[in-house]
Parts: sequence; structure tokens; C-alpha cells
Amino acid sequence: MCVPGTGRTTPPAASDRRTVLKVAGAGGLALTFSTALGTPTYAAGNRDRRRAYVLVVDGCRPDEIDSGLMPNLAALRAGGRHHPRAHSLPVMETVPNHVMMMTGVRPDRSGVPANDIYDRGLGETRTMDRPSDIRTTTVIERLNRQGLRTGTVLSKDYLYGVFGERATHRWEPFPLLPVTDHAPDVFTMEAALGMVEEFDPHLVFVNLGDVDRVGHSDLTGGTLQALRRAALVSTDLQVGRFVDMLRSTGRWGRSIVVVLADHSMDWSRPDRVVSLTSPLAEDPLLAGNVAVAQNGGADLLYWTGPEGQRDRGVARMLAVARSTPGVLSAHDRARTSWLRLGPNAGDVIAYCRAGWRFSDPDVVSNPIPGNHGHPATRPIPFFIGGGHPAAAKAVSSELAATVDVAPTIASFFGLRGAPRGGWDGRSRLAAG
Amino acid sequence: MTTTHPDRPGPQGTVGRRTVVATGAVGLGVASVASAVPATGTTAAPTARGHRVFQHGVASGDPLPESVLIWTRVTPTRAATPGSGRGPRTEVRWEVATDRAFRDVVRRGTFVTSAGRDHTVKLDVTSLRPATWYHYRFTAAGQRSRVGRTRTAPAPGATPRNLRFGVVSCANYQAGYFGAYRHLARRDDLHAVLHLGDYLYEYEAGYYGAGDVIVRRHEPAGEIVSLDDYRQRHAQYKADQDLQDLHATAPFITVWDDHESANDAWREGAENHTAGSGAGGEGAWRRRRARAHRAYDEWMPVRLDGTARLGDGTRLYRRLQFGTLAELSMLDLRTYRSEQVAVPALDPAVSDPDRTITGREQMRWLKASLARDAAQWKLVGNPVMIAPVTFAALPADLVTPVNDVTGLLPQDGLPYNVDQWDGYTDDRRELFAHIRDRGIKDTVFLTGDIHSGWASDLPFDRGLYPVAGDTAGVEFVCSSVTSDNLKDILGVPPRTASRAVEQAILAANPHIKYLDFDSHGYSVLDVTPARVQMDWYVIGSRLDRTTSATWSRSFATRAGTNKVVAVDRPVR
Repeated sequence: MCVPGTGRTTPPAASDRRTVLKVAGAGGLALTFSTALGTPTYAAGNRDRRRAYVLVVDGCRPDEIDSGLMPNLAALRAGGRHHPRAHSLPVMETVPNHVMMMTGVRPDRSGVPANDIYDRGLGETRTMDRPSDIRTTTVIERLNRQGLRTGTVLSKDYLYGVFGERATHRWEPFPLLPVTDHAPDVFTMEAALGMVEEFDPHLVFVNLGDVDRVGHSDLTGGTLQALRRAALVSTDLQVGRFVDMLRSTGRWGRSIVVVLADHSMDWSRPDRVVSLTSPLAEDPLLAGNVAVAQNGGADLLYWTGPEGQRDRGVARMLAVARSTPGVLSAHDRARTSWLRLGPNAGDVIAYCRAGWRFSDPDVVSNPIPGNHGHPATRPIPFFIGGGHPAAAKAVSSELAATVDVAPTIASFFGLRGAPRGGWDGRSRLAAG
Repeated sequence: MTTTHPDRPGPQGTVGRRTVVATGAVGLGVASVASAVPATGTTAAPTARGHRVFQHGVASGDPLPESVLIWTRVTPTRAATPGSGRGPRTEVRWEVATDRAFRDVVRRGTFVTSAGRDHTVKLDVTSLRPATWYHYRFTAAGQRSRVGRTRTAPAPGATPRNLRFGVVSCANYQAGYFGAYRHLARRDDLHAVLHLGDYLYEYEAGYYGAGDVIVRRHEPAGEIVSLDDYRQRHAQYKADQDLQDLHATAPFITVWDDHESANDAWREGAENHTAGSGAGGEGAWRRRRARAHRAYDEWMPVRLDGTARLGDGTRLYRRLQFGTLAELSMLDLRTYRSEQVAVPALDPAVSDPDRTITGREQMRWLKASLARDAAQWKLVGNPVMIAPVTFAALPADLVTPVNDVTGLLPQDGLPYNVDQWDGYTDDRRELFAHIRDRGIKDTVFLTGDIHSGWASDLPFDRGLYPVAGDTAGVEFVCSSVTSDNLKDILGVPPRTASRAVEQAILAANPHIKYLDFDSHGYSVLDVTPARVQMDWYVIGSRLDRTTSATWSRSFATRAGTNKVVAVDRPVR
């Protein structure tokens, strides 16, 4: 989870390393885009008419596409390449999975394992929202090198932060709502439409945050999901606007639209809260020697004591976590190869059971019922619509994951090469 | 060419020259029985004029990507009848070809059988190509068997466009003709047939027919108890032409339910077993069950303990994978289960965590099957129903006939069938929690046992289902081939009295979307990446050897939804 912020009510200021363009959106909204300095007006790649759009419906569950509340997404899926066996990757949080989408590699290579980590250098817990947190090349930068234009339209401030100024054109989320700390989808979509109209990037990476943000705070989430259902309808309408734009402007036939979620969503009861801080502090070996980075459905535990006692400390952390009600499993990160989280994720990863949530340092630290990060929130929608033949209608039983997006985009544009060590994902286009 | 001598002493401890008839209880301390088979030489000589060597058809089963079991039974002499313990050792040649004319034979060999294994032949044909149709046949004593057709499973990484299975259960020989098998055998699009249990019934001749009518009498005449009894009963069923035709059409993937041993079997007994050696006693249950399992191993194209060998174990639960599209976990819900509760009131023991329907080891195995995500669709061959069902809303005068169909509803109105997962709710809670905790999607339980057709969501929480609708998966239940259903017991025409019962159950159980208490027949299951669809076909009269079959209803579950929806037409 991200810690809700205070919101932003004034437009972002320009920095020294970008130019700023203010345009009027279709709805009369003022849109502010920043563009990297030195971007050539006519690069070689500009002649490439193919377009790729990645729309992340943040926190959407795959069954919600079938709920009847999302007819535009259902139609897009029905006409394209559908991967029903798709999932988010550990830790099932927003920042790491968006980073995996754009890097095509797992967190042990990207450097971003969770929304929040304990930064050993700083000696404190922080959100991974710095451009320098991504330690590998994104497909955005690969496209830029080929002279292709790229754009990011990300509704959450920390996503805007972590991807920084990598894209040719960026929209800084605005206005940010005070409680949810994200830009509503109607603004985000307005920006996406404006960016396509104004700059026509070859790749636009869009995060629509309403479904996730409303899901987090919906106190009826376990049963009625009243606010959540309203958000599904609203977000679907925004996606419909985007598809309509592609069709009406003649882009549809040369475009692919990758639609997926970064993770799913699970709702906990008020009494089903796991707080590991206290039991860890009660252990003589662990007291004062453990830091906790709470990520909703996952807790990352860091040994901060003497190096010589690390193994004993990890063993004790595992034991404490596994004996705590509501904990599904706890893993020694360094000895659990399939996690592939890297050292930024700490020493022990604890997952909660479905219907529970972590709340650290104390049981009131995380009051929101909707959470993700744990295995219950693995399933995601994943499909590729669009009129380009690469998105021809099909349904595949192959496993697909967020990490597949970058190689899919690379394959679509025929980019040569791959990250050193290869992609961790694979293209999900017809020939992939 | 390979030659298999399953009766020779070997490193696996197979039985020796004196043809010891192990009762399938190796390691259980149950005594073996030495047969009276004379040590005659192996025969391949032509048989007496008019004698048929292959009287029980051919079969195949448990398809893997590179191997499949093939099966037959030979009757080398007139005296070598099933369960007789008589007849010579016999060489049986087998061939597997890619074409029906056997111009392209890809594998062949010889298998030596004997009375020690009731002259059955079962072997694992290996080094085959994945997702390929094959034809097979046997030759012995100068005669050739009919040709069977089989198909290997897709390779582990393959992405098949679809899988299509016939789905059947509950075939009571005395209750009628196997028209369901006959119609299913006419299809040429089945990759396999799932038999979900009650392949045969253990009852004596004259008991449990089509209502009061015994259409065909069981052999042997008594309730089957001894190994030879079980062998003869298997032989009688395998002599049925409709069943032979279906076996010859596609590989079977089978599990036993209770009647392959005795009614309402559990770990240490069965409702239809009288322990003890006194009057009416049927001996020790474990010994009887070992005989039933031994005969099953001999007569069914199934790998027990993962092999085609006899006597090396009786673990029936197993996985079969079909590329990335589906993995099928076949369950044994009889061998390890705790005793059914049998009290005249709702017994809290149904939710006792110390009671189990799967056994602890099988539960761990099943949870691993679902969590390992080896394929998109997690299909579970499930002998008894897992959907929670309350019968509490039934009219009092219908409790008895419903009880006769579904099993164990006491007269005072216990609202649950405690022979199903409803009688072992902690196991179901544990399994469903596992599914929810790990975000497992696309689990489909395929079930028999209850002599009726059902399609149901599987709610995590029945109380919240009408509002939240969260589900662990879905369940499709096939009807019986012939075994009595509600209209049979009521003695009324189809779609009359049963309608009220169905409506009462549907109203009290909103997660159940379809229920047919009246029909006999079969189902066809079609699996694609987009959905799993079950079509129910119903036969006319089970008393009519030539009865027709018609499509009845279809339901599907779309990928990622864990819900069933009605479909307006069957797959073609």
C-alpha cells in the first residue's frame, strides 16, 4: 500500500530538465505535459505508424471484467488476445508490477520489489518512488533510442516518481485527491487522450487508479462493494472513451491495446489484522534488531542486528511470523529462489491469508479494508485488444504475467536485443 | 519388440511360477492365496472351434504424453472363465499403430498372462507421440481381438485448442441397459472418458434393480465378497457390448467410488459389509477391500500406484496433465475417509477437524495439485459431491425417496448428505481456504455418485454468497448411466413429482444453478482456454436396449469467473 498523502490542488511546476506544454483537454480541463529537452521533432522512428497503448486498470480482479459492469473492457477482451491464466508477481503491489511491466525483468534485477521498503542506507522505511530505484533499462528508454516517442500517464504520484522523466512525454497526475492520493480516472483519461492527440506517442503507458483506490477504502468491500462497483463502471467508461478515440482517429487498425492489472484486490475484516511488530519486539533476539516494511498483504522484515547473528535472526523471524494468526506463509528471501525479490526486499517475506491484512507498526497503522500484496491477489486480467493483426482474437492457456508487457511491446515494435541476461517475461503477441 | 512377463519373479517382486494370487494387499499383512493352476506350458495354440478368446473387449486408459495403458482379457480355454483360477499361461501379442489397418505399427510386443491375474493383460505402451491417435489390438491362441482406439495426452508445454471428455458414473447392470455408453461410443470426438465411480455394483442378483424390476441379473448370484467374486462381476460388466464399444473408442480415466468394493465404504468398513466370520459374516473389511482393489487393478485400464503392475500398491489418486490447458486430479474418497456420521440428528461431528474424507496425505497432494498451477484448468475427478446442499426445505413425504437416491438422509430430516463432502466439512473448509488464500482460479470439480445432474457454484461462504458471490470454483455432476434416480423410486413419469423437489432444493441453495433428478445418461465435457462446458445428454428408457439419447442442458464456466452460466447449445 502507499501511505495516503495530502493531495495536490495546484498544478505541478516545471523543472529545469523539461519543457512544459499546457493544453486544453476535451472536457475543458487544463492539461500539463512535460517533454524531455532535446527530443527531436522528426526522429527516424516517427515514420512508424504502429501504436501501442498499455492501460493498467489498477487493482482490477479478472472476474470483474465479467461482472456486467465493464462492457467496454469485456468487448475489448472478446475481440483480442485473452490470457485468462495471468497473474501479478511478488510482491503483488503497484510499483514493482508497473516496473516489471516496463522493464521485463523481475525485482531481483529491476531493484524494485515492493511499494515500501526499509532503506538500509537511510535507516528508515520509504516508498520506492525515485527514478534511481529502477536499476535497469525500461522498454520506454529502448523505444526512445530507436527514435520512437513514448508517453506516461500515471494516476499515482509514486508511479510518476519512479518512472521519472524516462518517457518522451509525461503527464504529472493532477489533481490528486486528498484521501486516495491519486488523480481520478476522468482526469487521467483526459490526459491520455490529450497526450495522444497532441504528441501521438508510439507507446503510451497509462495507469487508471480509481478501481484500486476506491477498492482500498470501500468499507463494504467484503460484501456489497458498493463504491467499488461504481468505480468499475466509471473506469470502464473511460476505457470506452479511449477505444472510441482510437477508432475515430483511424489509429485502431494499427494499434494494440494491452489491458491488465498490476494486482488484484482482497478485503479484510476489521478484526483480521496482523501486526508483526509487537511479537517481533517481544523476542529477545529480535527486539530492536528488525525493521518492518508493511505492504498491505505482505510484510517485509529486515534484520538490522549484528551480521554474525543474521541466520539466527532470520530463523526467529520466520518462526514468529509463522506462528502468528492470519499469516499464510513466511519465506527466507535469500533461500526462496522463486520469489526473485532481491536484497531490497529484506530477509523475510510474510504473506497474510485471504481476508486479512498486515498493519505495522501497530494495529491501527493500516486502517483500510482493501489490500493486496498477498497470494490471494495474484490473479489479474490480461488481454491485448486493438485492430492490429498482432492482437487477433485468441484465447491462450499459457501463463502470462505483468513482466510480459515489456517483451510484448519490444516484439511489437521489432526492437532488437534484450536486457543483459534476457527478458524474464515473454511476448504475448500472436507469434510470441 | 518387447516381451513382458508380469508373472515371472522380478526385481519388483512380481509373483512367481506357482501363480500366487496376491489379494492386492502387499505390505498390509494380508495372506496370499496359492491357486490351483497346473504348471502347464504357455499356450499359443488355436482354441477349440467356436471358442472366443477375446470375450471382454479391449480398453485403454490413463493417457500420458508418451504412454498409455492398453488392456484386454483372454479366455484361452473354455475352462478359463473369469475368477475360475483355471487356464494355462498364455502369450498375448499386442500391436499399436497409427492407422486402423495397422500398416504403420509403431510398437509391438508380447505379454504373458495367467490365471494368477485372471488372464488379464495390462501394459504401459511407451515411447509414443503426444496428442496422437493410435489403434491397438491383441493376438492370442490364434485369434485376434477387436481394434481399440486411444489417444495420448498433449505434451506438457503444448497449448491444445480443446479437450473433450465423456463423463459417466453409476452404471448398475441390474437396472437396465447401458444405452448411455452406446451413444457416447458413437461419438468420435472424445479424447478420453472420465468414469467417476460405481463402474459396477456389488449387490447380489435380484437386489437393487430398476426400481422393483431386475432387468439383467448379476453374476455371480451372491453379493461379491471374494476375489473370484469381484473378478466375475468385473467380467460380467466387461461382457456388455455397449461398455466394450465405449472402451474401444477412447481411453478411460477412472476412479472407484464405493460400489466397486461395497456400499458407503470408508476406511475401516462399509454399510454393506458385515465384519466377522460367523453367520452372515463377510470377514475383515480390509481383506475384502484388498480383493476388490486387486480385481480393479486386474480389470481396469488404470495405474494404481503409478504403474500397470499388479500388487505394487493401491494408490488410486493421481494427476494427468493435458498441456497448459488442464490438469486432472483424480481422487480416491473411499479408502482413507473416516466413518460417516450415523445419528438421528444433526451431528456436530460433520465438522470435526479430526474427521476426513480425503485422508491427510491425499489432502496435501490435492492442495499441491491446485497450487502448483501446472495448467489453466484444475479439473478434479471427484467421486462424491462437494457443493454444500441443504435438503432442509424438502416436503416431509419426499424425504424418503430423496434419501434413496442421494444416500444418507435420516428420516427425521437431517438436511445434509453426510456421505458427501457435506459430512466432512472441515476438509472442505480447508480445501476452499487453500484455494482462496492462494488466489487459485479455474477449479472445476467433476462428480458422479448422486444419480442426478447438477451444476453449481462452490461458495466460500454460503451465508455471504447471495451478496458477495465469491466462489472457490464450480462443480458439474453427471447423471447415472442406469442407477435409480428420484422418479424411478417414486414410480412416476419424468418431470412430474421431481420438479417440486428440484425447485425446493434450488430455492434453498442459490449457488446451485441446475438440477435434474429424473434422467439417466451421460455428459460431454469440453475444455478450451476460454471456458469449460458440460453438456448433459439423457437417454429414453433404460429398459430399452435400443433407447435414444437427446441433449438436455448445457452449463459452462468462463475462465477466471469461478461461476457457472447456462449455455444454449451443446458442443459439436
